[in-house]
Amino acid sequence: MAEVVQTTRTSLREGRIGSSVSRKEDDRLLRGEGRFTDDVEPGHCLHMAVGRCPFPHARILSIDVSQAVALEGVEDVLVGSDVVSRSDPISVLRPVADAPDLGFYAMATDVAVFEGHPVVSVVAVSRHVAEDAIGLIDVDYEPLPHVFDVESAMDPRSPVLHPRVLKSNLLVKRLTGAGDPEARLAEADVVVEERFSINRVSPLPMETRAIVAEWQAGARELTVRHSTQVPHLVRKQLAESLRLEDGAVRVIATDVGGGFGLKLGIYPEDVLACLHAMRARRPVKWVEDRIEFFRASTHGRESVHSVRVGARSDGQITGMFDAYAVDSGGYNSPMGSPQLTSHMFTGPYRVNDAGTEHSVILTNKAPVGAYRGYGQPESCFVRELLIDRLACRLGRDRVELRAQNMLHSQDMPWQSTSGATYDSGDYEACLRMAAQAIGYEEHVKRGRGPGTDGRYTGVGLASFVERTGYASSKFLARRGSRFGAHESVTLRANRSGGVDVYNGVSTFGVGTETSFAQIVADVIGIDFDSVRVHLGDTGASPLNTGGFASRTLIASAGALRQAAEELRAKILRIGAFMLDSDPEDAVISRGVVCLRDDPNACLPLAEVYDRAIINQGMPPGEEPGLESGAQFEPEAAAYGYGTAAARVSVDPETGDFDVERFVMVHDCGTPVNPVLIDGQVLGGLAQGYGQAVMEELRYDEETGQLINGTMMDYFMPTAADLPEIELQHTFVKSPVTPFGVRGVGEVGTVPGCATIASAICDALADFGVEINRLPLSPESVWRALNQAKASREVRS
Amino acid sequence: MKSAPFTYVRPASVEEALHVLDEQAGAARILAGGQSLVPMLQMRLMQLDALVDINRLPGLDEVRAAGAETIFGPLVRYATIERLPLVAERLPLLQCVMRFVGDPQIRNRGTIGGSLAQADPTGEVPLSCLALDATIVAASVSGTREILIDDFLVSSYTTALEPGEMITEIRFPLAPHHFAFLERNRKHNDFAVVNVAVVGRRGSDGGWSDLRIALGGVSDRVVLAVESAALLEGTTLEEDAIAQAAQLALDVIDPPTDVRGTAEYRRHLVPVYVRRALSKLRDDHEPFDA
Ligand SMILES: Cc1cc2nc3c(=O)[nH]c(=O)nc-3n(C[C@H](O)[C@H](O)[C@H](O)COP(=O)(O)OP(=O)(O)OC[C@H]3O[C@@H](n4cnc5c(N)ncnc54)[C@H](O)[C@@H]3O)c2cc1C
Repeated sequence: MAEVVQTTRTSLREGRIGSSVSRKEDDRLLRGEGRFTDDVEPGHCLHMAVGRCPFPHARILSIDVSQAVALEGVEDVLVGSDVVSRSDPISVLRPVADAPDLGFYAMATDVAVFEGHPVVSVVAVSRHVAEDAIGLIDVDYEPLPHVFDVESAMDPRSPVLHPRVLKSNLLVKRLTGAGDPEARLAEADVVVEERFSINRVSPLPMETRAIVAEWQAGARELTVRHSTQVPHLVRKQLAESLRLEDGAVRVIATDVGGGFGLKLGIYPEDVLACLHAMRARRPVKWVEDRIEFFRASTHGRESVHSVRVGARSDGQITGMFDAYAVDSGGYNSPMGSPQLTSHMFTGPYRVNDAGTEHSVILTNKAPVGAYRGYGQPESCFVRELLIDRLACRLGRDRVELRAQNMLHSQDMPWQSTSGATYDSGDYEACLRMAAQAIGYEEHVKRGRGPGTDGRYTGVGLASFVERTGYASSKFLARRGSRFGAHESVTLRANRSGGVDVYNGVSTFGVGTETSFAQIVADVIGIDFDSVRVHLGDTGASPLNTGGFASRTLIASAGALRQAAEELRAKILRIGAFMLDSDPEDAVISRGVVCLRDDPNACLPLAEVYDRAIINQGMPPGEEPGLESGAQFEPEAAAYGYGTAAARVSVDPETGDFDVERFVMVHDCGTPVNPVLIDGQVLGGLAQGYGQAVMEELRYDEETGQLINGTMMDYFMPTAADLPEIELQHTFVKSPVTPFGVRGVGEVGTVPGCATIASAICDALADFGVEINRLPLSPESVWRALNQAKASREVRS
Repeated sequence: MKSAPFTYVRPASVEEALHVLDEQAGAARILAGGQSLVPMLQMRLMQLDALVDINRLPGLDEVRAAGAETIFGPLVRYATIERLPLVAERLPLLQCVMRFVGDPQIRNRGTIGGSLAQADPTGEVPLSCLALDATIVAASVSGTREILIDDFLVSSYTTALEPGEMITEIRFPLAPHHFAFLERNRKHNDFAVVNVAVVGRRGSDGGWSDLRIALGGVSDRVVLAVESAALLEGTTLEEDAIAQAAQLALDVIDPPTDVRGTAEYRRHLVPVYVRRALSKLRDDHEPFDA
């Protein structure tokens, strides 16, 4: 007998704030019935393929498209000159302040600046034919010398990537900080100084980028299905580049298979697909394949740091400075390179004199954009490893040295040297809990080994503070950001007795439909299952910013609460009127409005909603309809924090290591849905683990080409690779956010690299091993061991 | 990416398949599990005139015992090898290595014949076939021939097969009872950085014979450490002998540098892994062959 698929629930779930109600999204996703951009295929749809520069830096001498145009099934071809005449450059949503505009067109015109830079595009009746056509296009390139990394980029003999705008490859340099770090470092009893290199990695969502563009020629309107985290910002950027009114563009993002910061704003291919659709007057679809993805979707991180920390002999840290350079690739990407490394540099420590010098440098690689953590894993890595080494130099215990320097709850709010205002928290509690959970003291007593199997054991720790959400729209505006810090929502009751929620973020895997419904249900007093959340359609939702920077819930919760309170008050007014009573005496309890003192006087909510919507028999003076809307801007960013700890064993003969345990203690503020929080933290930790021990986009120094741009050669961890992760949370309410929530979307990525590196260095401390470069592979550990042994021999 | 156009042929018999291969004169390939061929076509690393799909040909996916020999059809899937009691009993090494190949989806499709024809220099199937001294039976329109595995594997992704030839059988002689297998990966079940398979027979006096040591990831094909094995013949695999044999293995390798590791690191790993595999062989199993 065929199994009966149950499609409706027999009872509605209440799903209050704080309950671990299962995700609304899961039902369709687990059945394989989600609807992603690639699932949309309008009639007469054409498919786009993009021809890309195979060199890191090349002049385009000529392009011959004649054979491609003649191929049966090909409908349209675009080259750089068409694109420049028909569109404007793509704007940067969040430029590093003072960075000049490089004018990033959707296609290279005369010079391509990275391998994968689009140089020609074709639409045809199928992707197969479109790719056949690309193969028939003859592009004559003159390869130019290329710039490989931040060091060579600043060599005066190196070619300048954007000579029309810049004199060198330095896009912008910014100094931040407070006090006088140089003076403190000069007078410190101990100064530890190191150089660290952070790997270039891929944000790697399961779903690559995708777009379906439909042009209604008669209405002159463009409807775009887009795999994005920010539909409204995409609409704005597309309208700008395509020289259309915002009102002529509608962007719809249904299910999005992961974003991680990579899907913020538009990319060249989006403009190209729309230009083709407008010219061919047929829908155009483009789904990025993995080969293109690795070369043309933005990368994450990659920076080089020279860091110093100074302390008194009693362990008090007195000054810190990080001069670092971010390898931003060939362009300032549509989002811009990461910006929180300086902001979070001093982490949880009380330091009054600290600063950073942040350089953004252009190289002939794919542009770097936002990636979960947005600069914070970098600062955690350099700071925490430096503090380990400071402890070693001072002969101090690593946990005690951290505790001595940590801020306490009575210090809050605390303004850090970068201008961050830490709102609240007990940093030391997390440190102590993590040390306890990993068995730090036992490890110190037992020693590092070797054990009977010849392996050495180490324990690593990393503490951090993490910014979640944005300080304010004013703060963003001062830095040239092209979006606000607020969120908006519309609520509408419907005649079945449900409430529809409309918001402009999209569903990209973080459980937004679920947490939004929990808040609305909780505030109004109705069932979670009677709330339906409609996301990601600019045609249906109020203008907003979108889902990133761990901000979605922080900003939206306020708007949801405000709108839900308004709706609740109106439901009570109408309900009480229908029950011949006063609103103060009425209550909403799941599916009904009742009188407090007379439980028999009860009305189904559907009746109340119906009355309001058709405006029949309403209380005098009450406006028709049952709908509310709200805009909300949080007072400030909320700062999450925590400490992670790992225990690692290392085989000194091969460098092979095993992360035996990984503990994360983290403050999540008020938990709206504990299971969602665990999911977010675990997912982030998996990405942090990948960056720590596996992932690295490697370019060949000679050819400038990406060496490992396939899933076969880019080592991303799967469930089988991950260590057991033990999570603990603390729940200190943030005073600056609705309900006291803190963002949790990115936190997992922050401490992974530092913690694992710290553990490996600890395990091999007897050999004097220090690791300053990510990722850590068994081979790199083996090399570090050899190096340490060799330098000992030289010394002895 | 999407493949360039090709003709898809589904022959009704091996004869017909061979006929098509012959007609296409090198511009056709056999489609078995497709786990290597399809990605290469999709990425346009390979363009073909025709694909000859042998998946529905009867009788090619069987494993049978023929006296001391064990005979595999080319279409036997990894997953079958992983589970079949006959394989566990007669060729435990071959069964053991399956768990190290890709993931369950790959193992449900990938075939022994495809894996041998692919001749990946890190491949677990070529590696264990070499350790187990298999013979490949290849057929073409002009007849059938037998090729020893050591002659069959030529270099990276290159075998002794002629363009019109198809693997129709893989034959294994009686295998020594004892085996050990070790593999180092950059991530779970990835292609190996290095892997080592050893087999041998332990006599009732504790002395070892019929040792074969196969190494993967260390050259342009999987290789046998013949001298290392010879050195250990008749010994009880004492530490010194193992250490010496492990060092000798360096003579047969010429490792590549790639994203998985440098040649230098692989050269460092080989003696370590040979030593560990031999110690495991000595320590892990029942005292002697029944
Ligand atoms: C994600 C992933 C992970 C993998 N991991 C591993 C791994 O860890 N270790 C490993 O060894 N491999 C791995 N592989 C490769 C896998 O083992 C392939 O399945 C195998 O190499 C080819 O077998 P197939 O049956 O799929 O052959 P196909 O892909 O169909 O064919 C491969 C080649 O063999 C030829 N061929 C096939 N059958 C015959 C025949 N009977 N006669 C002559 N020629 C024939 C084809 O024409 C083609 O040239 C992985 C593959 C993937 C996609």
